[in-house]
Amino acid sequence: MSLLEIDKLSVTFDGEDGPVHAVNDLSLSINRGETLGIVGESGSGKSQTAFSIMGLLAPNGRTGGSIRFDGQEILGAKPKVLNKIRAERIAMIFQDPMTSLNPYMRISDQMTEVLTLHQGLSKRDALAESVRMLDAVKIPAAKERIRLFPHEFSGGMRQRVMIAMSLLCKPDLLIADEPTTALDVTVQAQIMDLLGDLQKDFGMATILITHDLGVVAGFCERVLVMYGGRVMEQGPTEPLFAEPTHPYTRGLLAAVPRVDDEDATMKAIPGNPPNMAAPPQGCPFRPRCNYAGDDCRVMPPLAAFDTGRARACHRPIAEVTA
Amino acid sequence: MLSYILKRLAIAIPTLLVLIIISFLLMHSAPGGPFTSERELPPQVLANLNAKYGLDDPLWKQIGSYVWGIVTEFDFGPSFVYKDRSVNEIIAQGFPITLTYGLLSFAVAVIVGVSLGVAAAVRHNSALDYAAVGVSIGAQVLPNFVMAPILVLVFTLWLGWLPGGGWQGPEYWIMPVIALSTSFMASIARITRSSMLEVLTSNHIRTARAKGLPERRVIMRHALKPAMLPVISYLGPAFVAMITGSVVVDIYFSTGGIGKAFVDSALNRDYAVMMGVTILVGALTIFFNLVVDILYGWIDPKIRY
Repeated sequence: MSLLEIDKLSVTFDGEDGPVHAVNDLSLSINRGETLGIVGESGSGKSQTAFSIMGLLAPNGRTGGSIRFDGQEILGAKPKVLNKIRAERIAMIFQDPMTSLNPYMRISDQMTEVLTLHQGLSKRDALAESVRMLDAVKIPAAKERIRLFPHEFSGGMRQRVMIAMSLLCKPDLLIADEPTTALDVTVQAQIMDLLGDLQKDFGMATILITHDLGVVAGFCERVLVMYGGRVMEQGPTEPLFAEPTHPYTRGLLAAVPRVDDEDATMKAIPGNPPNMAAPPQGCPFRPRCNYAGDDCRVMPPLAAFDTGRARACHRPIAEVTA
Repeated sequence: MLSYILKRLAIAIPTLLVLIIISFLLMHSAPGGPFTSERELPPQVLANLNAKYGLDDPLWKQIGSYVWGIVTEFDFGPSFVYKDRSVNEIIAQGFPITLTYGLLSFAVAVIVGVSLGVAAAVRHNSALDYAAVGVSIGAQVLPNFVMAPILVLVFTLWLGWLPGGGWQGPEYWIMPVIALSTSFMASIARITRSSMLEVLTSNHIRTARAKGLPERRVIMRHALKPAMLPVISYLGPAFVAMITGSVVVDIYFSTGGIGKAFVDSALNRDYAVMMGVTILVGALTIFFNLVVDILYGWIDPKIRY
């Protein structure tokens, strides 16, 4: 049995101009210890998928489908049920370390409350354990610095604190929602190295949400490419990146700037991401796709091919170019 | 921290001095004086009175000796109108009363206002929220000089539950406190509600929820402190407005606080009482603003003195 199984998840927000379909018909599963990357541009529904798992959607969000964690249905579960899973079994780290920590509380208080609440530790033990975890994320002089407030740390250090805080209960699943987006490039590399090491040490399954393909290539065993709230293509990282078959995946990979490229123009995918309040009929990528035809007005099913790969496309590139 | 407080208290001295000089000059520039009345006094009597109270000295000398009296003997002078009473006695009699119902009103306004605001924000867009907003708007537009007679009408004349005036025991406190606190309670409720709603959408609250904390703890431990910042900055001006409000309460409920003494002194041109009350209110305002700033530093760790 998979650790997490999402089946036909849909997320809709009731906006003033009608419903916005952020996530449509999304299915995925992740096994214990596995690393999965969810890739897509802004507004593709990756973060909303993560928030659905944690039960952290905005109050005007409506969901459909099912999310089962360790066999238990958690989509739309009561806060009481979710609070037993949050932090203890599924932890999450967020995009913006500058604002994700409580600026009015000492790091020590923010960390220890997780342990006293979930594991019933005494304040003393919780503090000792928190210091150990700060050591593990390589915060120097953790014993003294745990008494500081968030504003006394740099962005990279704050993200380390967030990571340490998320790992306190040794969760089975870690969701990292663009953990390096707000950081400098050099700090990004350090944080990803750290996450990689910790993932191996703790053996937890990890969902890495990002728009940085380089980060995914280095971190994830499996990748899921999202566009317009739908899965476009998924499969093991290496073959997916080596031979992308979905026109969107290909465009995305072609858009990655290369350092050794003499001609430094960016190869962007022409057009704009779809307006999710009025998504295009059929495949959401159709208006921007060079290969699109009339059959694309009907959304293609996610069809399996090769080993462990799947794509939702009527005109995959492999067949078009063959 | 201690050096900051001492510094602020040191700055308070010149501030009060400026306050004294300006009030003194303004008071004396108004026509008339303590001894002008409808029936003209013989010029010789008036001159003698002015000489007795030092009113014939040049203004700078009057200010000088007034300040000297305060600094050396903490003497705010005799009342010009009540011949046998000093300003110190008048304040000592009225101030404890004002302080009692003032602090009570303050406590009621803050406790009820914050609770109502938090409850409304937590149950955003529910019936409770709409009711809280409705009550707040109603209470905010009801000035205390309208509130006071309505209270007397209902609780004294119709129901006969509460005494309509005087100051003899706790049952005499209830209506003054309600009259004085209601509009501040409403303002605090509305400020709390909107700032709480804003805080609840912030990223660190999302983190707190992701940590699996019970909603109660998210609100009380993580959201309440930052949500209080705008409320605290409102408390400074609210305090001054409450002092002004106490004038109305003193008159409606015959409570005998310094608000009444203040109004009488202004009407009678009782210079010394007027100055005494002005300095008292000024000093309290300075003190209260210091308390607000200290509270700010206590809540927001980024503020360090």
